[in-house]
Amino acid sequence: MGIVHGEEMVLNIGPQHPSTHGVLRLHVQTDGEVVSHIEPVIGYLHRCFEKHCEHLTYEQVIPYTDRCDYIASMNNNFGYVVAMEEFLGIQVPERVEYIRVIMAELNRIASHLIALGTYGLDVGAFTPFLYMFRDRERILDLFELTCGARLLYNYMWVGGLSHDLPVGFVDACYRFLDDFEPNLKEYHDLLMYNKIFIERTADVGVLPAEVAIQYGVTGPNLRGSGVQWDLRKNEPYSIYDRFDFDIPVGTGQMGSVGDCWDRYWVRAQEMAESVKIIRQALQDLPAEGNVHEALPRKVRAPKGSIYKRTESPRGDLGYYIISDGKGTPFRVKMRSPAFTALSVLSEIASGWMISDVIAILGSLDIVLGEIDR
Amino acid sequence: MKRWLVNIWESVSTLLIGMGITWRHLRRIRKGNVTLQYPEETWPRPERLIGFDHQHYNVIRSRLHVDIDDCIGCLKCERACPVSCIKIETVKAPKEVDLGLTSHDTKKRLLVKRFDIDMSECMYCNLCTYPCPEECIYMTGGPNSHKHPIDYEFSEYDRNNLIYRFAALSDEEVEQRLRVPAPPVTNEASHD
Amino acid sequence: MTVDQIIRWFQSLSGSGEQAWMFLAAVVITGLPLFLVLATNAIVAVYVERKVSAFMQDRIGPMGQGAGFHAGKWGLLQTVADALKLLLKEDVIPSAADRKLFVLAPYIIFLAPFLAIAAIPFNQVLQVSDLNIGVFYVLAMGSFGVIGLILAGWASDNKWSLYGAMRSAAQIVSYEIPAGLSIIAVVMLVGSLNLQQIIEFQTGTRWGFLPNWVVFHNPFSFLAFFIYFISSVAEVNRTPFDIPEAESELVAGFHTEYSGMRWALFFLSEYANMLIVTAVAVIVFLGGWTSPIPGLFATAGWGLFWFLFKIGILILVMMWFRWTFPRLRVDQLMHVCWKVFIPLAMLNIFGVGVWALGVG
Repeated sequence: MGIVHGEEMVLNIGPQHPSTHGVLRLHVQTDGEVVSHIEPVIGYLHRCFEKHCEHLTYEQVIPYTDRCDYIASMNNNFGYVVAMEEFLGIQVPERVEYIRVIMAELNRIASHLIALGTYGLDVGAFTPFLYMFRDRERILDLFELTCGARLLYNYMWVGGLSHDLPVGFVDACYRFLDDFEPNLKEYHDLLMYNKIFIERTADVGVLPAEVAIQYGVTGPNLRGSGVQWDLRKNEPYSIYDRFDFDIPVGTGQMGSVGDCWDRYWVRAQEMAESVKIIRQALQDLPAEGNVHEALPRKVRAPKGSIYKRTESPRGDLGYYIISDGKGTPFRVKMRSPAFTALSVLSEIASGWMISDVIAILGSLDIVLGEIDR
Repeated sequence: MKRWLVNIWESVSTLLIGMGITWRHLRRIRKGNVTLQYPEETWPRPERLIGFDHQHYNVIRSRLHVDIDDCIGCLKCERACPVSCIKIETVKAPKEVDLGLTSHDTKKRLLVKRFDIDMSECMYCNLCTYPCPEECIYMTGGPNSHKHPIDYEFSEYDRNNLIYRFAALSDEEVEQRLRVPAPPVTNEASHD
Repeated sequence: MTVDQIIRWFQSLSGSGEQAWMFLAAVVITGLPLFLVLATNAIVAVYVERKVSAFMQDRIGPMGQGAGFHAGKWGLLQTVADALKLLLKEDVIPSAADRKLFVLAPYIIFLAPFLAIAAIPFNQVLQVSDLNIGVFYVLAMGSFGVIGLILAGWASDNKWSLYGAMRSAAQIVSYEIPAGLSIIAVVMLVGSLNLQQIIEFQTGTRWGFLPNWVVFHNPFSFLAFFIYFISSVAEVNRTPFDIPEAESELVAGFHTEYSGMRWALFFLSEYANMLIVTAVAVIVFLGGWTSPIPGLFATAGWGLFWFLFKIGILILVMMWFRWTFPRLRVDQLMHVCWKVFIPLAMLNIFGVGVWALGVG
C-alpha cells in the first residue's frame, strides 16, 4: 500500500472571486486541498497608466497616479510630486511639507485599515472589517473636508497643494486620533490576539528575509520578515527626518519570523506609529504659509531623468521620469510595491492549503490597480 | 499535555474577549450606530470653511457647472482636462460687435458656439477649475453653493444626458449674434 | 398530541379499526404545523440574524422608516420580501450539472431536519411522535442531511461545490462523534433514550435553588454541554466552523450553483438544523420545557414558552459566535475535533459514570 495520489486539479481562483482584492486570477494546481503550484495571472485592470502619461502634461499625471493605488492615493501623489520637485529643484514651503506628511500618514492609516480589515474578511472574521471601515470613513471625511474628494484626491501638486487646510481641520484631526487609539486596541483584542486568527496565520506563509530581498519585496511585507527597512527612516524624503517614530519589524511573536501574523502585526503597529507622526506634525504645523507660493506657472522639466522612491503603505513606490525637455514626459515608469509582493506569492504559498493561500494573499495586501496600472 | 491545556485555555479566553467586544457593541448600538438611512438621511455636509485667502477655490467634487455668460472662450479649461471631456468651439467676433462684459468686467471677444462637458468621462480631478481667469467653470457646491446645491446623485438613464451642453448655438444663431450692426444713419448720407 | 393519539381519536369517531386514511390524515395534521414551525423559524431567525449582526457591527440592519412602504417597521418585512424575491427568481440549472441529483439535493437536505423535528417534544403534550429512542432518532435524522450536501456539491459540477461537499462530509461526520459521546454521558445519567423521560428526569431542584438540569448536575455534565454545543455549531456549518461554504475561499461552497427557491431551501434547512441541534441541547442539558424557576410557570403553555426561549438563547449565542470569530482551517477543524473534543468527551463519560456512582 502506497500513498493514494489523486489527479491534480487546476483551480482558477478569480478573476471574479470574493477574496482576490480586485481582479486577479490565481492559476492554482491542487492535490485535494493542498496547493502544489500557484501562478498569479494579472492584467485584468490594465489601464495604460504609463503610456497615458506620455501624452499628458506633468500636472495632468497627478490625477492618474491617484488611480493606481486607489486605496492610498495621497501617498501616490506624494511620491510623484516629491520626484518632480527634486527634478525641477523646487523648494516647497514648510507648511506644505507638514500638511503633506499629515495627509500621507492619515492615508497610510486608512490603507492599513483596509488591508487588515479585508485580511480579517479573508480568514472569515466579518465584524472587524466593518469596524475598520467605520474608522476609515472618518479619515475620508477629513480628506473630503480638505479637498472635496473622498477617494481620488489630486491634492498634492508639484510645488504645493491644491488647497490649504480648512478651518477646524486640526481640531477634527485631533478628535479623530483620540477616538482612533482606543479603537486600535479593540481591533487587536478582537482579531489579532484571537486564538483562531493566530492559528490561521502564525507559521503560515513564512517569507524569509533573503527571499523577500531577492524578490524585491518592500514595505510592511519586508518588515514583517524582520528587515528594518523603511524609506522614511533610511532615505528620508520630505521632512520625515524631523519626526520621532519607530519602525516595527516582525519578531515571530506567535510563530516564526515573516509569517502572516507578523505581517498583520507590523501593519497594526505602523498605524500606531503613524498616529505618533501625525500628532507631532500637527504640533509643529506652521500657522502661516501660502500653499500656492512655490507652484511653478508651468511645469516644464529639463532634459534628463529622475528616479525617486517613497514609502507608500505597500512599500517602495518609485517614479522614474524621463524628460526630453518638452511639455509632456517622455516616459514615466512606476515601480509598484504590490507587484513585487504578488510575485513572491507563488514562492511562499506553494504547499499550503487553499484556505492558507487566501490568507497569505490577504497578508500581502496587494492592490490590483497598482499592479496592473 | 501542558501545551494542550494551555492551548485550550488560550482559545477559550481570547474567544471570550472577542465575544465581549461584540457584545459591547451590540449593547451600545444606539450610541455607536453609523448607518445613514440613505434616501431620508443624507451624508452630513462638512463645513467647508476654507481658511486663509483661498475662499475662491471650490472644495467639492460634484458635477461641473459653467456660467456661460461669463465665459470668454479662452480654452484654458479644455487644455487642462486630462481626459479631454470638455469641448469648446468659439467664433471670433468682429470688432464692431459688442458681446458684453463678464462679471469680472472683462470684455468678451469670442463667441462660445459650443461648450460641452461629458460628465460620464469626467474624472473629477478639478484641474479645469483652477486656470479659469473668469472663475466661471466650477464644481457645484462650495463657495458657489448659493447658486447650486451639492448634488452627488446626477444619474441618468441615457448616457447622452450626461453630456452637458452649456452652449449649443446653431449657425443661424451665431450669425445673428455676430451680425455687424447696421452703421448708424449719418449726416453725410443726407448731404449727397 | 402524538400521531398515535390522533389515530385513536379518529378510531373513536368512526368506530372502526385503524385504517390507512387515518394514518395519512394524522401525519398531515401533524406535519403541516411542523413545516410551518420550520418556515417561521427560518424567517424569524434570518431577521434576528440580520439585526444581531448589524448591531454587533455598529449598523442598524434593515429598516423601513421614512416615506414609502420599504420593509415595514424596523424592517420586519425584510425576510418576507426576500422570500418573495427568491420565489420569483429564475431557476438556473447549469448545463453540465447532473439534473436529477441537482434538483433532488435541496429536498434531501431539508428533509433531514423535518424528519428530526417529529420527535422533538415542544412541551409536556405537544410532540408528534414520542419515540422510546428519541435521542438516537433525532441525532440520526439530523445528520443524514450531509448526503444532500454531498449530492449538491457533486451534482453542481463545480469545483468550489465539490470542495465544499468534501469538506462538509468530513466535518459533519467527525463532529457527530463528540456530540454523540457527550449525549451518551447524559443518557447514562438518565437511563433512557426517550426525550420526555430525559426531561422529566430534570424536573425539581438541585441544591435547593438551581433547576435540576443536567448541566448543573456535575462538573462533567457541565463540560459535556459545552462540547455538545460547540460540536453542534460545527454540525450546522456555522462560523467558526463554516468551512463548507467558506465565503472568502469557496465562494459559496456546496450551494455555489444554486439560485432562487432551491437556494432558499438550503437556507431554510440551515436554520432548521440550528433549531434541531439547539432543541436537542435544550432537551438533554437544559431541561427542555421545565421552568428555570422550579415550581413556578410549570403549565403546558409556559412549557412551550420556556422551550422556545431556551432555544432562542442558544441560537442567539450561535449568531454571536458567527459575527465574532474568524474561520478555522479544514485540518485545524479536524484537529479540534479528534484531539480535543473526542478525548474530552471520553473523559466526560468516565467522569459522569464515576460521579453518578460515587456522589450520586
